[in-house]
Amino acid sequence: MTYQTAVEAALLDVRDLRTEFRTKSGTVTAVDGVSFVIEAGERIAVVGESGSGKSAMAMSLLRLLAYPGQVVGGEILLNGRDLGRMTEKQLTSIRGREVGTVFQDPMSSLDPVMRVSGQMIAPIMRNLGLSRAQARAEAVKWLDKVGIPDAERRIEAFPFEMSDGMRQRVMIAMALSCKPRLVIADEPTTALDVTIQAQIVELLKDLTSEAGAAMLFITHDLGLVARFAHRVAVMYAGRIVEFGPVGEIFRAPRHPYIQSLLATIPGVGNHGQDRLPQIPGTPPDMRHPPKGCAFKERCLGAHARCHDEAPTLSLRDTAHSAACWLPAGLEKQMLAATVPTPKAMPLAKASRERQRTVIEINNLHKHFVSSPVFAPSRRTVVRAVNGIKLRVRKGDTLGIVGESGCGKSTVARLLLGLDAPTEGEIFIEGLVQMVFQDPASSFNPKMKVSALIEEPLAVKALGNKVERLARVTELLTQVGLDDTCLDRYPHQLSGGQRQRVDIARALALNPSVVVADEPTSALDVSVRAQIINLLSDLKAELGISFVFIAHDLLTVRYISDHIAVMYLGEIVEYGPADEVFDRPAHPYTRALSDAVPIPDPAVEKLRTNAPLRGELPSPLDLPKGCPFSSRCPMVTARCREEKPMLHEYRKIRQVACHYAD
Amino acid sequence: MADQSTEFLAPRSTGWRMSMSGFAKSGLLGNFKARIALAIFVPILTLTAFAPLLPIQAPLETNLFAMMKPPSIEHIFGTDKMGRDIVSRTLSGIKVSLFVGFSVALIALAFGIVLGTLAGFFGGMLDRIIMTVVDIFLAFPSLLLAIGLVAVMGTGLVPVIMAISLADVPRFIRLQRSMVLSLRSRAFIDAARTVKASQYWLMTRHIVPDTVAPMLVAGSITAANAILIEASLSFLGLGIMPPAPSLGNIIRDGQAYLEQAWWISTLPGRVILMIAVGLHFLSDGVRELLDPRSRS
Repeated sequence: MTYQTAVEAALLDVRDLRTEFRTKSGTVTAVDGVSFVIEAGERIAVVGESGSGKSAMAMSLLRLLAYPGQVVGGEILLNGRDLGRMTEKQLTSIRGREVGTVFQDPMSSLDPVMRVSGQMIAPIMRNLGLSRAQARAEAVKWLDKVGIPDAERRIEAFPFEMSDGMRQRVMIAMALSCKPRLVIADEPTTALDVTIQAQIVELLKDLTSEAGAAMLFITHDLGLVARFAHRVAVMYAGRIVEFGPVGEIFRAPRHPYIQSLLATIPGVGNHGQDRLPQIPGTPPDMRHPPKGCAFKERCLGAHARCHDEAPTLSLRDTAHSAACWLPAGLEKQMLAATVPTPKAMPLAKASRERQRTVIEINNLHKHFVSSPVFAPSRRTVVRAVNGIKLRVRKGDTLGIVGESGCGKSTVARLLLGLDAPTEGEIFIEGLVQMVFQDPASSFNPKMKVSALIEEPLAVKALGNKVERLARVTELLTQVGLDDTCLDRYPHQLSGGQRQRVDIARALALNPSVVVADEPTSALDVSVRAQIINLLSDLKAELGISFVFIAHDLLTVRYISDHIAVMYLGEIVEYGPADEVFDRPAHPYTRALSDAVPIPDPAVEKLRTNAPLRGELPSPLDLPKGCPFSSRCPMVTARCREEKPMLHEYRKIRQVACHYAD
Repeated sequence: MADQSTEFLAPRSTGWRMSMSGFAKSGLLGNFKARIALAIFVPILTLTAFAPLLPIQAPLETNLFAMMKPPSIEHIFGTDKMGRDIVSRTLSGIKVSLFVGFSVALIALAFGIVLGTLAGFFGGMLDRIIMTVVDIFLAFPSLLLAIGLVAVMGTGLVPVIMAISLADVPRFIRLQRSMVLSLRSRAFIDAARTVKASQYWLMTRHIVPDTVAPMLVAGSITAANAILIEASLSFLGLGIMPPAPSLGNIIRDGQAYLEQAWWISTLPGRVILMIAVGLHFLSDGVRELLDPRSRS
């Protein structure tokens, strides 16, 4: 009965969609029989890890797949017309006009040598049948709507003259300007900072509901889903494994995958001493589609039937369906069993030992000076790090957070001695090592794992070949890998394994401090918890101090003892992690923590989403008074004139704001 | 997530050492273009190596009773105006050509890799000096430069090799430097620097091994070019001096008799073409083998 009405009202009705990538090394089944319905004005989120087929699915809808991908089966009905049977020419009239698209990386989806006007006006003229002048006015109106200041002038800008956030706004304006009925947004905020992400999400939400357009929103961020979606489709290994209203999915998930995934996220409740539950293993290789349920190897509830027969999506509630043989998925106590027990109990170090300072940074500055050869007078100075002071004690973890461009990665490079400070001192007791963001690029692709981990030992000429190999094997065990990895090349490992190898390499020389720059941001959500657990194990086992740099505030909060919030090269707030997050004293910290989407729709509904306005000012042209004064919601005349110093706040904290108390 | 796409771009197999050992087995024979190159070079190299054992006249031996004979069973490519056997002279000329080609490629690779790495890695004044000299050399067409240098150094095998190398080294320096510049900023160099690896270590363990493959491709194209330039110099009378045969001067010998005895120039000319084509196929094959994106 409900089904019947749904079909009639459906804006988009996808039935049994199949997409394959026929590569030379075999056929990859990217989308394996996906069916769903989007009704007019509805926001549907598609969540899944990389390789789950979520992007391939979205691209299949408009036949935008890159070679060698092709749709091999199913129907895509938009208002009852099958897009799959349309000619390329008919589809072109649908794209943009009826279905708008916003992609992840606006720099590559905008034409870099064409002004914004050139890219916006022509489609509006064609799709809405307006004259050039009318289309231009329409384009300016939309740019204004998406929050581009001075739209009349900025429409003549080139994409490279805009920031990432601005470019994504332009993309949204382009997608919405032809008044589409459906917007497909493929990870539209993944490349953006958390504060900008919050702005863009609000914008998409407001503008689509204003225009009555439906939206298909693809993401891997469960927090965004909670903030944004009406209904959620969870994809795993090319199939939808759970589909339902957002509240239901988060309150009572039925599929073990999403149940475990929700449990792995360092959330509001489970920070501190607890370990994160983790999903063992990695997603299946879609070149060899698994027999039976694709999730069975990683599922605690797997039983004989799961190995023979793949479950199909079946109704659990009025509007909630899941693809699992267990009617309610995993039980609570089973989920608890996914929390791994720590390998070793934390060493009970004497408290005096723990008090020892291992990193001391005083008045650290790093300025990048550039002076054009032909105009030395036009010398510009970027103050990437502008006078910071920090202490890290033995065995402690310091989290550094801030938007990109705030100088946090420069601090990491200075700590490691990769760059020399312009001014100030860094004292480090023992050795600092680094865990990199993207181990795919921090490994020489032509070296095997054994050689990669051995390299630090070989550089220092420690031991002979045999002894070094023994040490490499020991390190691999320590990070949870076995010696079958030794002879592999980095590209033959999964993302999680590569990050473990990177950690093993960092540990090779027994460092006292490990700097980790976004160590989990390149990883899949289900693997992230494994790495976070590993890092906290190592911290407890080896008494290493960590400096943890990330933009994922929930992770930073989970792993850190202290947190330093950086803004434009300066620390604006410092203190114990929970204190800083629960009771932020600086308006910027408050804005940051407000911007983080919490994976719980009930919590999200209660929050006031007033995202931080504006963007990071250019570091070439810093505001005179408080660096945050240009974006601060509580700014006063004093802030614009007088720069607040970092001062003590409630004994254990420090904050740089005139009005902290 | 975002980096997954790069995973496909990351070199599929290799490791320089591994690719070399696996090369002969699966590589060269498995690649279509490399197979063509082998089909050209195996017979040519075999014939050249065993030329003294073949039942043909020695390259310098004249036979006044068989002058300007067209191709026949005894003289497959015919004979020239002094009754010398063209096949024998061609085989001997090939030896010269290949020697010149590979010497030039080796010299250009050696200097290119060393100077290019130094310039790219250290930058600054050293880079500026090296690159200024390179740019001056690059301003001249290589044949013209080679002619000029031969004019200064004199003719003969060694001056020809030196002249052609000098014209080719600058290109190799530029190529190597550009690769070093992009490798230098990669995260794995930073990773090695965090353990205080020396500059020498970075260059020999990370940078040079990662540039060898493309340099080899460039080297095989340069060998083909060098063979053509040597032939051109000899044709102009500036290279290998008669009576010693080289493909260039055999063609020069036949040029005056093109109407009466077309075979003198034409057949050695074909051989030059074959060698050049073969080397280009070889370089294409090597590039495809070392480039993960074009591999199955």
